[in-house]
Amino acid sequence: MSHIRHSLQIRHVDAGSCNGCEQELTALTSAAYDFQHVGLDWVASPRHADALLVTGPMSDPMVRPVERVWAAIPSPKWRIAFGDCAAGCGVFQPAYGTHGGLPEADLVIRGCPPEPGAALQQLRDAMRSTTPPQS
Amino acid sequence: MDNSWIRQNVALKEAHAELLTLTATRNQSMRATWLDPVSGRQELVIVEVCQERFPSLTSVLPEVAWDEREIHDVFGYVPEGHPNPRPLLRTPRWPENFRPLRERPDVRPTWQDADPDNPALTVEGNGVTVMKVGPTHAGIIESGHFVFSLMGENVLHLDTHLFQNHRGVESLLESQTVDGVASIVTRICAADTVSHQTNWALAVEALSGYEAEAAVSLGRVVLLESERVLSHLNDLAQIPAGVGFQVAHQQALAMKEDWQRGLQGMYGHRFLFDTVRPGWVAPPDPENLLRLVYALRRAWTPWQHLVEGHHGFNDRMADVGVTTHADVVRFGGQGVVSRAAGKGFDARTLLPLYQDLRPVPVVESGGDVRARFNVRVREVEASLRLIEDAAARLRRETAAGDIPWSPQDGHSGQVAVYTESPHGLNVHDVTMDNGRVVRYHIRAATYRNWPLLAHAVPGNAVADFPLINKSFELCYSCADR
Ligand code: SF4
Repeated sequence: MSHIRHSLQIRHVDAGSCNGCEQELTALTSAAYDFQHVGLDWVASPRHADALLVTGPMSDPMVRPVERVWAAIPSPKWRIAFGDCAAGCGVFQPAYGTHGGLPEADLVIRGCPPEPGAALQQLRDAMRSTTPPQS
Repeated sequence: MDNSWIRQNVALKEAHAELLTLTATRNQSMRATWLDPVSGRQELVIVEVCQERFPSLTSVLPEVAWDEREIHDVFGYVPEGHPNPRPLLRTPRWPENFRPLRERPDVRPTWQDADPDNPALTVEGNGVTVMKVGPTHAGIIESGHFVFSLMGENVLHLDTHLFQNHRGVESLLESQTVDGVASIVTRICAADTVSHQTNWALAVEALSGYEAEAAVSLGRVVLLESERVLSHLNDLAQIPAGVGFQVAHQQALAMKEDWQRGLQGMYGHRFLFDTVRPGWVAPPDPENLLRLVYALRRAWTPWQHLVEGHHGFNDRMADVGVTTHADVVRFGGQGVVSRAAGKGFDARTLLPLYQDLRPVPVVESGGDVRARFNVRVREVEASLRLIEDAAARLRRETAAGDIPWSPQDGHSGQVAVYTESPHGLNVHDVTMDNGRVVRYHIRAATYRNWPLLAHAVPGNAVADFPLINKSFELCYSCADR
């Protein structure tokens, strides 16, 4: 795990979110939370990523794109479910177009949407944890 | 086939009526609801679906091109004479005869083992390059798939393939009770949540013949305008980001953050989820509202001088991504996008909710990125004044939200209700039977503006797409549902 202790590079994919989770992810980059300051960042390519972060209840058209992004991230890697929808407990779970959020998440950040301050803390705690990633 | 459907709808368009919704029901009928933008009167046009077909309006009324494609996808009714009846929501993964709004809501399809992409419409010829972007993106943005046909750097054609965020909200809402609907409607789109919540409240209240107290209405106005400020601050932060103007971007994000913290302090939520319900509004806090507006103004004025005085930024926005007044009318454009092109429609002028607060539509004529930026700037200022006005009145009223009213069980009927969301005219067409939803159609403003965006982009350099896109700032989730 030591490779992410000081830096965690994340690739974000929206899988049917309501945009609330995205706005809070953007807030993390603002001066108020400044998450780059603690070694976190969004990366434009999965090749540069340590983790995949998914928002939304996994809308059907995004199932394959999410799988492809995951496959393109080099191991060891993490899956992060951001928000209740991705965690599999949002209001859209019974809707026909959804697949129950992100399966097998290594880190689940709850909230609808998660508050950026609390989310930042959870990400930092996860960086410090010594549990090896699953994949 | 009956062509009075076409005649009546075209006549209403020619009389400058605003199309609220065009939608179908599972019992083989279709209806178009129009709004007179002066009197606020609604006009309903109905046609029966005959042998699974209905006469398409698209060639005479291009703004409904998407509606008719969607009706075909979700009901299976064929728009006869549609110039381009390809799938809109439907993907190659849908089971062959899957028509979600004719199924029971709890039926889950068995998805096909296929890629979700439909064939794109591209330009062919010497020197044409096709560039595909999405559905996943390099930044923090909702999913959408864009196929550009380019000649050099210039865009010849843009084919938008959206609905990656399609969850099946309309089907999910069917057979819900009054209580079940609220938490779902709140989460259709975080940027327009208060508008969606208010629509649902207005629908139930209209079906029950209940008229909200003045204090409840004022509380809702405060929330709707706070949401507009929040959403516009977000967009006003994103447009400078599109041209690398980081100072303006970061300062606007900081204003947005402070605004959200203030709202959370008063309402317990940074996006105002679950603050409006039938007969109820989260109790406002006039003193703190006024304080929050005051604090925002202190940061806003220097920021506004910064962006106004920056010639490079203003030049960069000028004449980019132009939508003309004629296009806005033809495509039924909504909200900021249409007001920036000279169409002065703003549903707030018709809503009884606003009583005598008299919101005045903000109109610009350029139709470019700069005009859309300026409309938002002026609308933030107007919204702050409305919030102050409403808060001052609320100070005099007895505590709003303390007046309990709960909808009676068993109301039935159909109603089309609307509010002006930060993105424009947001309509819900609700049919209830005995206290349960039997059909719930959501026509958000962005649904009309997406085709307009695709129309505004050709002729511009492809590198300007992010800027143009940010100046429209269309939420995907509202359109995709
Ligand atoms: S968890 Fe809440 S905020 Fe996030 S996408 Fe789902 S509904 Fe929206």
